[in-house]
Amino acid sequence: MNLIILLAIAFGGALITYFLGKISQKIRDIFAVFISLALAVIAACFYNVSSREIYYTGFLDFPFVLRVNTFSWFFAVTIAVIGLFSIIFSLNYIRKRGNTDFYYSMMLLVIASMIGIVLSGDLVSFYIFWEIMSWSTFLLISYNRGPAISAGMKYIIMSVTGSVVMLVGIVSLYLHYDTLVYTELSGLLNNASSGYILFIIILFFIAFGVKNAIWPLHVWLPPAHSEAPSPFSSVLSGILIKIGTYGIILLIFVIIQINVFLNLGEGILSVRYIISIIGVITILIPTFIALLQDDAKRLLAWSTIAQAGYIILGIAYGTSESVAGGMFHFFNHAIFKSLLFMVVGAVEYRTNGVRDLNSLGGLIKKMPVTFIGGLIGICGLIGVPLTNGFVSKWLIYKTLILNNSPFLAFAALLGTWGTILYSYKLIHNMFLGQLPEKYEKIKKAPFSMQLPIVILSLAIIFFGIIPGLPLHVINSIESGFGMEPLTINIWGIASDTGTINMLNIFTAVLVIGIMVWLIFKVSKKSTVIGQYDNYAAGTTVPKDKYNYSVNFYDPLCRMISPYLKDFIDDFYMSLARSIKNTGNGIRRIYTGDVGHYVIYIILFLALLIFIQINWELW
Amino acid sequence: MVMNTILEIIIIILLAAIIGLFFLGLSRKIMARIHWRYGPPIAQPVIDIIKLFNQTSMSHGKLFNFGIIFSLSGSVVVLLFLPLGEMCPLSSSGGLLVILYCMLIAPLGLALSGGEAANPITSIGISRKFLLAFGYELPLLLILLTVMTHFNTISIVDIVNMQLQTGWSFQHLPLLLSGIAYILILPAILDLRPFELIQAPQEISSGPMIEYGGKFLALATIQHAFNVFISLSLFTNLFLGGAENPGYFFLKMLIVFIILLFVNAVTPRFRIEQAIKFLWRWPALLAFAGLIIVSVTG
Repeated sequence: MNLIILLAIAFGGALITYFLGKISQKIRDIFAVFISLALAVIAACFYNVSSREIYYTGFLDFPFVLRVNTFSWFFAVTIAVIGLFSIIFSLNYIRKRGNTDFYYSMMLLVIASMIGIVLSGDLVSFYIFWEIMSWSTFLLISYNRGPAISAGMKYIIMSVTGSVVMLVGIVSLYLHYDTLVYTELSGLLNNASSGYILFIIILFFIAFGVKNAIWPLHVWLPPAHSEAPSPFSSVLSGILIKIGTYGIILLIFVIIQINVFLNLGEGILSVRYIISIIGVITILIPTFIALLQDDAKRLLAWSTIAQAGYIILGIAYGTSESVAGGMFHFFNHAIFKSLLFMVVGAVEYRTNGVRDLNSLGGLIKKMPVTFIGGLIGICGLIGVPLTNGFVSKWLIYKTLILNNSPFLAFAALLGTWGTILYSYKLIHNMFLGQLPEKYEKIKKAPFSMQLPIVILSLAIIFFGIIPGLPLHVINSIESGFGMEPLTINIWGIASDTGTINMLNIFTAVLVIGIMVWLIFKVSKKSTVIGQYDNYAAGTTVPKDKYNYSVNFYDPLCRMISPYLKDFIDDFYMSLARSIKNTGNGIRRIYTGDVGHYVIYIILFLALLIFIQINWELW
Repeated sequence: MVMNTILEIIIIILLAAIIGLFFLGLSRKIMARIHWRYGPPIAQPVIDIIKLFNQTSMSHGKLFNFGIIFSLSGSVVVLLFLPLGEMCPLSSSGGLLVILYCMLIAPLGLALSGGEAANPITSIGISRKFLLAFGYELPLLLILLTVMTHFNTISIVDIVNMQLQTGWSFQHLPLLLSGIAYILILPAILDLRPFELIQAPQEISSGPMIEYGGKFLALATIQHAFNVFISLSLFTNLFLGGAENPGYFFLKMLIVFIILLFVNAVTPRFRIEQAIKFLWRWPALLAFAGLIIVSVTG
């Protein structure tokens, strides 16, 4: 199977989907699911294949190179699988909305361009796919209209700024080394001055940082994630921002190479340490801001930024354990965050667009499967043992502690405890507590929504108990980068400095859980009572009012909110305003009136004549 | 080998249950004596549990049941990671970081169970529990990181063994600061005054426990007993040299607990924001200083 065929299917499918929709909605739906399924299957077939194909197109003498190895395979499969689930989830979610042909076609285009990015083997094709992805993402973010338009504008302006900066970097690389193909570039920078490498890192890091929403380039993400249609939010949060992660890995490990990267600067002032600190800031501030959110999707959006911080921290820290942790966390985050967005999306779908955490409640009785998905999702997000998030975070903490960076470890651990707070709030306010009367008649989520939720939940548990499978792939990626692989087995990590064995933990939890359950079962049976049969200090339970969910963490929020003004956003907004004002100022001169221009010309000539008469300069 | 491990597991669970319940009984007795009352017999918690198992109970649904089971089994799993003398059945499966994370399961289970009860008082209690936990986790994380950096290991068994060679952690200067910080946050971990915010009987009628009756209350009490044992055991293992033999280990835990009870008996209760402010100020500063000294001196 050729790589070009995979890309042809991806892009062709996106185009055909649009026209099929003009014929029949049903055929289009089936076709879209089929295309994304085909992408996932074909991408999976490239496992352990390492090949490189050059297609010379004669475009400015740049070769068009596609390549696949374990590194790009890992990302491509994650993209294709999450894309597939997202399309399945869309089937019901988007059905009653307008412009659905456009939606599906754009969705497939985003997925296709992301696959293109991870399969491209030179920076020109990388850049082309990158731009296709940016623009199609913009169109989908703005799909809902209203506030979504400004969210999309914010995204595209930051994204375009980033990619222009990246273009400067690409041009500079080409001028220096006369090639843009990864395999030829890698190793060439070994001899470059550290100033030049730093220059390249900063340029690329801005572009990838915008996409990956690294603090302080994160401001586009919260509005974009919350305003986009929910299935697309899960693509955005699960994989699209991770393309930034892909770029950073590509930059550090393929183009620059890890030994050069680790030797840039000394001690606390080394590049590796500075990026790690940025990663830690990206964990802490958004975690606290997420605590203050009342909109379910906005809460998850801030949480996404925070989790991206873990990935950056792991990758930039640069030991083989931390990089493995970072990459594993990328994979895990793709699973549990897209699951959580789907859970919120399902609730939003059944309640006709309610995502305000203050007005929901008690939905566990009505949507049990969705609740279980949400519960497992937040367990993964927190990193409760036996979910996948645990192992990846454990790897990062362990290497930070043993390499004497306890403060980085502290910040990362503290971020986890903040995560517990906001994720419990999310689950509690949506599913627990009292069920409001207006939601009495709510039905459970349709099958096309439950299916991805169930599969992704199972995946979280599966990779939590058998972390060896993804770690095995990550290990071979790392040996491809010339790093020392970890000592892993299928159930976890077995090194001298610290082991985890998920099988033992799983067995212990299971056996003890069963024993407690048996004790519970054999003791006297309990009668099940409803939500109005509660302790209320002797009075009857008031309907719709007996709930504690508004301002769930009020005491803490009152303490921290004065310190959490999003001054970065304010800075960008004031920058935007001042650019607008400058533009308005210039417009006073450029009125578009020919008469004014004639006056300018005459005044200028008069000035010249005046100068000539007085000083005789020429 | 396998039989030995199973035997160890059973011994640890039984021992923890007996010690934990004894501590609960003792605390009521000591509190009563300080208040010039006679107090219930020390075996009162056991009597209560037997009685509660025989009572009928109300359930609010499947998650209500599942949460309490989940919470209790989470506590028991933590026990298996904590060394008790030579016994530590799961020591090869994970270290202190795993303990830290497994300790999450118990409050999370109670929170889920309480959440389905649909009683705002439960939710207030849970909200306070998480806030207070956030308050004491900040110094606790600093403390644990200081210990782990000082001994340069993430395995609790190694930490205990190294203390056997070099003396208790309390004898090293940076760890002394962390140890003091740890004692300051222990009442918060154990839900004792001045941090008795979660149950707060006079204010929110036992908070998360409010909808529990019969076997639910019994299981919750057992879970609480385990929790007391775990918190004290972790402190003893990390700072008081662990256990040369189980009797000595028990004595160390008992002394720490009685000191905490004396504080509990005579102090009033903080409000939640006061509690967080306190926890983020003094214990955090001490622990932070300890961590700085450790990381600078390497």
